[in-house]
Amino acid sequence: MTRARQGGDAASALLQREARAARGRLGLPVGLGLAQILIGIAQAWLVAGLIAGLLGFGAAGWPALGAVAALALVSAGLGVAQERALLAAGEAAKARLRADVFHRLLAQAAEDSRSVGERAALVVDRIEALEGFLTRWLPAAALAIAGPILVAGAAFAVDATSGAILLAAALLVPVAMAVTGIGAAQASRRQFAALDLLSGRFLDRMRGLPTLVLFRRQEAEAEALGRAAEDLRQRTMRVLRVAFLSSASMEALAAGAIACLAIRHGAVLGQNHPDPAGAIFCLLLVPALFTPLRAFSQAYHERLAARGAAAELAPLLENEAPGGLKLEEVPDRVVVSFRDVRLTYDPSRPPALDGLTFRVLPGETLVLAGPSGAGKSSILRLLMGFRRPDAGRISLNGQDATLLAPAELRRLSSYVGQRAHLFRGTIRENIALARPEATEAEVEAAATAARVTDFAKTLPQGLETQVGEGGFGLSGGQAQRVAIARAFLRDTPLVLLDEPTAHLDPGTEADVLDSLRRLCTGRTALIASHSRAAQRALGRVLEIEGGRALGQRMAGE
Amino acid sequence: MTADLLRVLSLWRGRAGWLLAGMAMACGAVLAGLALLGLAGRGVAEGVTQAAVFTGGAAALIWLRPVIILRPLLRYLERLVTHAATFRALADTRIWFFRRLAERLPAGLGFRRAGDLLGRLVSDIDALDRVYLGALVPGVAGVAAVLAIALILGAIDPALAALVALPLALALLLPPLLAPGAAAAGQRVAESQGALRAVVVDPLTGIEDTLAAGAEPRASARVAREGVALAEAQRALARRGAWGGAAGALLGQAAMLGALGYGLAMGEAGVAAAVLGLFLATAAGEALGLMPRAGAALAAAGASARRLFEAADQAPPVAEPTTPAAMPKGHAIRIRDLQFAWTKDGPPVFEGLDLDVPEGARIALLGPSGIGKSTLASLLLKLAAPQSGSITLGGADLATLPADAVRARIACLTQDARLFDDSIEANLRIGRPEAEEGALWQALDRAGIGEVVRSLPEGLATRCGEAGARFSGGQARRLVLARALLSEAPVLILDEPAAGLDPETERAFLETLGEATAGRSVILIVHRLVGVERPTRILRLAAGRAMPAMG
Repeated sequence: MTRARQGGDAASALLQREARAARGRLGLPVGLGLAQILIGIAQAWLVAGLIAGLLGFGAAGWPALGAVAALALVSAGLGVAQERALLAAGEAAKARLRADVFHRLLAQAAEDSRSVGERAALVVDRIEALEGFLTRWLPAAALAIAGPILVAGAAFAVDATSGAILLAAALLVPVAMAVTGIGAAQASRRQFAALDLLSGRFLDRMRGLPTLVLFRRQEAEAEALGRAAEDLRQRTMRVLRVAFLSSASMEALAAGAIACLAIRHGAVLGQNHPDPAGAIFCLLLVPALFTPLRAFSQAYHERLAARGAAAELAPLLENEAPGGLKLEEVPDRVVVSFRDVRLTYDPSRPPALDGLTFRVLPGETLVLAGPSGAGKSSILRLLMGFRRPDAGRISLNGQDATLLAPAELRRLSSYVGQRAHLFRGTIRENIALARPEATEAEVEAAATAARVTDFAKTLPQGLETQVGEGGFGLSGGQAQRVAIARAFLRDTPLVLLDEPTAHLDPGTEADVLDSLRRLCTGRTALIASHSRAAQRALGRVLEIEGGRALGQRMAGE
Repeated sequence: MTADLLRVLSLWRGRAGWLLAGMAMACGAVLAGLALLGLAGRGVAEGVTQAAVFTGGAAALIWLRPVIILRPLLRYLERLVTHAATFRALADTRIWFFRRLAERLPAGLGFRRAGDLLGRLVSDIDALDRVYLGALVPGVAGVAAVLAIALILGAIDPALAALVALPLALALLLPPLLAPGAAAAGQRVAESQGALRAVVVDPLTGIEDTLAAGAEPRASARVAREGVALAEAQRALARRGAWGGAAGALLGQAAMLGALGYGLAMGEAGVAAAVLGLFLATAAGEALGLMPRAGAALAAAGASARRLFEAADQAPPVAEPTTPAAMPKGHAIRIRDLQFAWTKDGPPVFEGLDLDVPEGARIALLGPSGIGKSTLASLLLKLAAPQSGSITLGGADLATLPADAVRARIACLTQDARLFDDSIEANLRIGRPEAEEGALWQALDRAGIGEVVRSLPEGLATRCGEAGARFSGGQARRLVLARALLSEAPVLILDEPAAGLDPETERAFLETLGEATAGRSVILIVHRLVGVERPTRILRLAAGRAMPAMG
C-alpha cells in the first residue's frame, strides 16, 4: 500500500517535472488553439446575425457569409500550424526520456529480473504513452480552462442567463470527470500491468516456439495466450466502462445546455424576444463551448495512460546510476584477491558465495571447478561488476574493486559468458564489438586464434556471414568460438571465461584450449570449467562447493 | 492494402454480431445528435418568430426532452459495445497469429528479430482496432447522418439537400481518398517502431556481452538513431492527418455556409428550411469531425495488417502431406542415401547418409560441432525436409506422415531447449501434461536435479525466469532434460544432454540413462563418450555420412 503510494507519488513527480520542462514549447500551440476558439465565437456571431436577418431581424447578407468563409479558412490553417507545433514539442522530450531510460536499463540490466520484452516496452511503448500527456493532455487542459471562459464570457455579453447556463455546464464537466476518473486511474494501472504481462509472455513463448512445437504444446499455449488476452480484455473494459462514463456525462451536459438555452429563448422569452440574433448566437455557442472540453476529455485517457507509464518509469529514472571511481589507465598487470566474499541472490535460497577467499597473480591462470550451482559463475560476475558482493572484500592490485564504477571495472577484463550472445550482424562485426577501433587484420588475427576462421572459411561469405539474433545460423560451439575471438581482440590484463569449452567436441576443445592458453599467457585469468581437459591444460585448480573453496590442486593433479 | 484489410475483416467473421451491434449503436447516437440540434434550432426559431413557416415547431421543445436522455445514453452504449467488440476480435487475431507462426516457423525465429516479432503481434494487432473503431464505425455513422440529412432536407427542397449533404458526403469520402497516400507513411511508422524495438531488445538480450564489450554507448547511439527515424515517420504521418483534419473541418463549414447561402438566396420562403439545414449541418460536423483522421487510421491499420500477414504467410519449411498415411505401428527409423543442405547453394550437410535405429536401440552419434548432428534431429522431426533420399518411421515414409504425429513418436532435447518464464511444474508438464506428481519427481531425480528442487522453498512452484534465468546454466539444462525424459514418445533424441553439467552429474545421469529410457529407442548426440553410456551402436558423422566408430 505504502509502496503503491510512493510509486504514485514518484509518477506524479515525474509527470510534473516533464510538464514544467515542456511549458516553454507549449506556449505557441496553446496560443494557436485560443485563436481558433476566438474565431469560432466570431463565426457564431456572424452566423447568428445572418439567421436573424433571414427571420426578419436585421439586414446581414452576403458579405457576412463571405467573412464566415474567410474565418473558416484561417481557422483551418491555424489547426495545421498547431498540430506541427505540438509534434515538435513532443519529439525533444521523447528523445531525451528514451535515452535516459535505455541508459539506466543497460546499467542495471544484469540485476533486472524482468523479461526483455517488458523492459523493451518501457523504452518503446511507455515513452510513446508519455507523448500523449505532453502534446495532447497539457495543451488540451490549458484550452479546456481558457476556452469555456471565453465562450461563456461572450454569451454573458449578450444574455447573462445564457452565460450562466454555459458557465455552469462548463464547470460541471471537470466535476463529473473527476468523480468518474478516480476509479479509472487505478484501473488504468492494472491494465498496463496486464498488457506488459501479455507482451512478456508472448516474447518468451515466441523464443521457445521450437520447444513448444516439438512437444506439441503449441495448441495448448495458443489457448493459454487466448486466456491471457481475455484477461486483458476484461481489465481494459473495466477501465473503459468508467472512462466512458466521463464522456457520457459530458454529452449529457451538452444536451442539457442546448435544451436549457432552447427553452429559455424559445419558450420563456418567446415572441417578444429582445435580441433574436443573441438568442441564436447563444445556441450556436454550445458546440464552441464543448469542443475544447471534448478534446480535454479525449486527452484525459492519455493522461491516465501516461500516469500508468510514469509509475513504471519513475522507479527506474529515480535509481541513481551506479557511481564510482574512474580508472585512470588500464594497468598491465592485475592481482585479483577475494577475502571472505559473500553473495546471496535470493534470501530464500542458500548463498551463492559463502565466505570465499583466494588470490590470483599476474601471469597465473586459476581454473574454478565444482558442481553446477557451486558459485563459479558468481565469482566471474562479481569481477565483471554485474553484481556487488554483500560482504567481504574484492581487491585488484590491493585496491577495493567495488569503489570503481562497474563500467570502469569492465575495462580491465575480457569476458566470455556461458551462453555467449551473438548480435544481429556479421561474424566480423560480432568480433569487432569487443574493440571497434581494431583494424581488419587484428580482427582476423583474433578470429584465427579462436579457431573461428576454421569454420568461417567453409561458409560462402566467410567472416561476412550474417548471424541472427541469438546466434542463429551457427552451432553452439561456433558461437562460443566467436565470443572467445572477442576476448582475443579485447586484449585486457584480466581474462574471465565461463565454461569456454562446454559446447565443443574434444577435437575442437583441444584446439581452443591451445588458443586459450596463449590468450591467458602473461595475463591474470579465471576460468570456470567442468572440463577435465581444460583443468589439465590451463593451470591451478580451485575446487568450490556451496560457495566455499574446498581446496586447490595444480594442473594435471 | 484493401485486400489485407478485407482479410482482417474475414478473420473477425465470428464476432460479426458484436461488430454490427456497435455500428447500430453508433448510427443511433449520431441520429439522436441530429435530432437534438435540429429540434432545438426549430424550437428557438419558432419561439422568437411565432411564424407559420415553423409548423410543428411547438412540438419541437416537447420532443427535445427524451432526446436529451437518449443521446448521452446511446453514445455511452456505442463506445462500450464497439470497444467490447474490438477487443474480442483482436484476441481472436492474436491467437490466430500465434497458431500460424507455430505452423509456419516451427524451427523458431531464426533471422527474424524476436523483438520485432513481439512488436508485430502486440502493436500491429492493436493497431487493427482502428479499422473498426477509427474507420468503419464513424464511417457507417457518418453515412447514416448524411443520408438522414439528405432525406429530411430533400423532402423540403432537393437543392438545399444537395448544398448541405454534398460537402458532408465529400468529407465522408476523404478517408478512402487519403488512405493510399497515408498508407506509405503509416507503414514507415510501423517499421520504424519495429526497428526501434529490435535495437532495444538485442543488446538487452545479450546484456552480459554488451556490458563486457563496453558497447553501451554504441547501443544507445543505435537506439537514438532509430528514435529519430521513428519521429520523422510519425511527423510525416501526422502532417497528413493534420491536412486531412483541416479539409474535413472546411467541408463541414461549407455545408453550413450552403444552408445559409440557400436562405439568403431564397428569401422568406426558404427561412425555415435554411435554419433546419444550418443546425443539422452543425450537428453533422460534430459527427464527421473524426472522419478525415480515419484516413490515417486506415492506412496505419493497413500497414500493420500487411506486416502481420507477411509473417504469417511464410511457407512452412515442410509441407504437410495432402493425404497423410496411417501411422505405422512400429517406430524403427531407417535412413537411406540422404542428401541435405540448408540452402540451395550452401554447403551440403549430408551426402548419402545411411542410418538405422531399430526399436529399442541406443545409438551414440559422435562428431565435431557443426558436422550436422543437430540437423539430423531437425530432419527426423520434420523441421526440414531432405533434398533426396528417404527416411522411414516404422516402415512408413516420413514425408507421408503428419508432422504432429511424428513428433508424438519422436521427442527431442535440443541444444536450444528453453525454460519458459513459468513454474518448474508447468515447464515439466510441457513434456507430459497429464503427468502425476510422482512422475515429475522421478524425472527430476533422473536428470540429477531432484535434490536442488526439493531444497527450494517453493519446490515445483518455483518460477524459472525467462530462459531459466533464475537457475545456473547446468541446473537449467537438467530441468529441460527432465522435461524431455517425461515425454512418452517411443523415440528419444538427446542432443548434448550433458552440456554444461559437471563431470560427476554427467556420469551419474548417463549411468541411469538406460533405466530412464527403458524400452525406448534413443539417439544420443554427443561430442565424446564418457564410457558409461552402453550404446548398442556408435557412429561418427564425417563428410556427410555416418561411419561405425569406437567410443
